[in-house]
Amino acid sequence: MHAISKIIARHAERKSVEVGEIVNVVPDYVMLNDRGAARAADLFRKMGGERVFSPDNVVVVFDHHYPPIRPQDSVSQKRTREWIAEQGIAKFHAGEGIGHVIFPEKGYAFPGALIFGTDSHTVTNSALGCVATGMGHSDIASYLALGYNWLKVPEVIRFDLHGAFRPGVYAKDIALRIAQLYGEDAAPYLGVEFAGPLVARMPMAERLVLCNMVIDFGAKTGYIQPDETTARWLAERAGGRRWTAETTDSDTDYGRIVDLDVGEIEPLVAVPHDLSNIRKASDLNGVRIDEAIFGTCTGGRIDDFRVAASIMKGRRLAPHTRMMVNPGSRETYLQAMHEGLIDIMVEAGATIGVPGCGPCSGCHQGMLAPAENAITNASRNFKGRFGSPEANAYVASSATVAASAIAGCIVSPAQASSSNY
Amino acid sequence: MLIRGKAWVFGRNVNTDLIFPKIWFRPTYEPGEMASHLMVGIDEDFPKKVGRGDVIVGGQNFGCGSSREEAAAAMKEAGVAAVVAPSFGRLFTRNAINVGLPIVTSPRIDERIGPGDEIEIDLAGGTLRNLRSGYATRLPPMAEESLRLIEDGGIANYTRRVLAQRRDAGLKMPE
Repeated sequence: MHAISKIIARHAERKSVEVGEIVNVVPDYVMLNDRGAARAADLFRKMGGERVFSPDNVVVVFDHHYPPIRPQDSVSQKRTREWIAEQGIAKFHAGEGIGHVIFPEKGYAFPGALIFGTDSHTVTNSALGCVATGMGHSDIASYLALGYNWLKVPEVIRFDLHGAFRPGVYAKDIALRIAQLYGEDAAPYLGVEFAGPLVARMPMAERLVLCNMVIDFGAKTGYIQPDETTARWLAERAGGRRWTAETTDSDTDYGRIVDLDVGEIEPLVAVPHDLSNIRKASDLNGVRIDEAIFGTCTGGRIDDFRVAASIMKGRRLAPHTRMMVNPGSRETYLQAMHEGLIDIMVEAGATIGVPGCGPCSGCHQGMLAPAENAITNASRNFKGRFGSPEANAYVASSATVAASAIAGCIVSPAQASSSNY
Repeated sequence: MLIRGKAWVFGRNVNTDLIFPKIWFRPTYEPGEMASHLMVGIDEDFPKKVGRGDVIVGGQNFGCGSSREEAAAAMKEAGVAAVVAPSFGRLFTRNAINVGLPIVTSPRIDERIGPGDEIEIDLAGGTLRNLRSGYATRLPPMAEESLRLIEDGGIANYTRRVLAQRRDAGLKMPE
C-alpha cells in the first residue's frame, strides 16, 4: 500500500484499503474558514444537526473576508462567533492569517494525519506527509453532524525531482512546469507525491508551495515522505505533538512515476486565463504590470518575504506599478518585521495589508480594473479572480513577482536572485 | 434513473470561478438565488436560458479550481438533470454527488454532443444516447455508494437519516 492508503485505512479503522474504494473516515482536524463556517453551520442546521459531533477536532479560521468587508460579512462573522461559542469550538483564529499557512505553523498538520477543509488549497498541508484535501460545505456540514466523511482512496502518481536549479528558479516554477507539461488535469482525483534528491534538500516552505499547487493540476492530496526536515519543523513548532509517519511499501504502489529534471526549468509565468498556459518570464518583457499581488497560501510565507526583500532592497516600484502585500500569517508578519523585510518593501512603495487571503479572496484589498495587468505569486490566474473579468492575472514565483514589480513589466528574476538549495 | 434533456455545451478547463463567480457568494441563499448566477462567468444570460431538465455538457476537466459547492448546487437548483464531461475537477465531482446532481464521465463526449441536442442518460443501466445523432455509448460504472447518494437526493438526506437512526437507537449524542 502507498502511505496515503495507509493513512486513509488507519482513519477508517481498517487494516488495509484498496485504490478506488470508498470508505468512511474520521479526520484529525477539519478547517472551516469564515465563508465555510457560515455555510456549513447553515447546512448543518438544515440537516437536523444540533450539537457538533467532535468540536475539539474543528478549527475555525477567518481568512477570506477578515476584517469583514461588507455588512453581510460582519453579520455572518458575528453569527459564526456565537455559533462556535455555543458549540464549544475553541480552536479559533481570526486575523492570524490563512488557514493553510497557520495549520503547518501551529502543528495542526503533522505526519500521518488526515485533514479536511472547506477550501481547495487544504492540500497544502500534505507537505508534512499527511493526507489533506478540500471539501464542499455540505460535506463538512455532514461531518459536523456525524463525525465522519466518505473518501475515495486515490491512486498515486510520483514526481521524482532531481538536478540543480538555474538562477531565479523556485518550487513554484516546478509546479508551473508540471501544469505546462501535463495540463491543469495532470493528476485528476490522484494523490501526488514529490520525491527525489531535490525534495530531500528542499526546505519546508518550498515543499508547501509544491503541495499547495497540486489542486491546480487536479489532485486530491499531495504527499512528501516525512524526513529530518519535517521532524525539525514540527519540533520547533509543535514539540508536544505525537505523530506516526506512514511509509509506502514499493514502487508498484504508484500508478505512474515521472522523472523531472529541474535543471531544464527557467523562471515561468502562467498567462491569462489558464494555469497550463505557460511562457518563460524572459519572453514577456512587453507585459506592463499595474499591480503586483504578493502573499496568499501559495506565496505568503517568510521565505517568500526574504526572497522579495532581497530583490527590492534599496529600490522602488516602477512609477505606474502598485504592490499589495498580505502576509500569510501573523507569525510571518512579525518575523518579516523583525528581519526588516517589511521596511524594505514599504520603502520600495508596497502597501502592507492584513494577514489573510488578500485580493485572492476576490473582493477586496486591491481589486483590478478592466484591462489592468497583475502579476501574483498566488496559484490561480482565472478570469475575474482578482476583480474585473476583463483584467489579466499572471502567476509566477515570489522572485519573479518582486522583480517585475520593480521593473514595471514582467521580467525574469534570474539576474536578481538564486535559489540556495 | 432515466434522464432526458436538452444539451448546453461548454469548453475545456471551465473552472468554478466561471460557473459561480465569487462576487455572488453569500453566507446563506434565498431559494432560487444560486440558480440565478449559474454560469454567469461565461454567459450572463445563461440563468434565463437554461430550463429544468436540461443537461450541461462540459469539456475536459470541467469544474476545476476552487471547492465552492455553489457551482454544483446552482445547477441542481436550476433543475439541471445531469452534468456530462470527459473528466471533472475532483471537488466538483464530490459536490455534485453530495447535492444529488447526476454526474457522468464519458471520454470525448464533448465532441459527440452539440448545443441543443437531445440527450438520454440511464444512470443505473450505464448508457448515454444522443437522440439527435444516434450516438450511443456505455458509461463507466459509478461507485455504488456514489450512485446511492445521488439517488438519495444527496448528503443532506443521508445525514438526516443517519442522525435519525442514531436518535432512534438511543445512541449517546454529543452533549
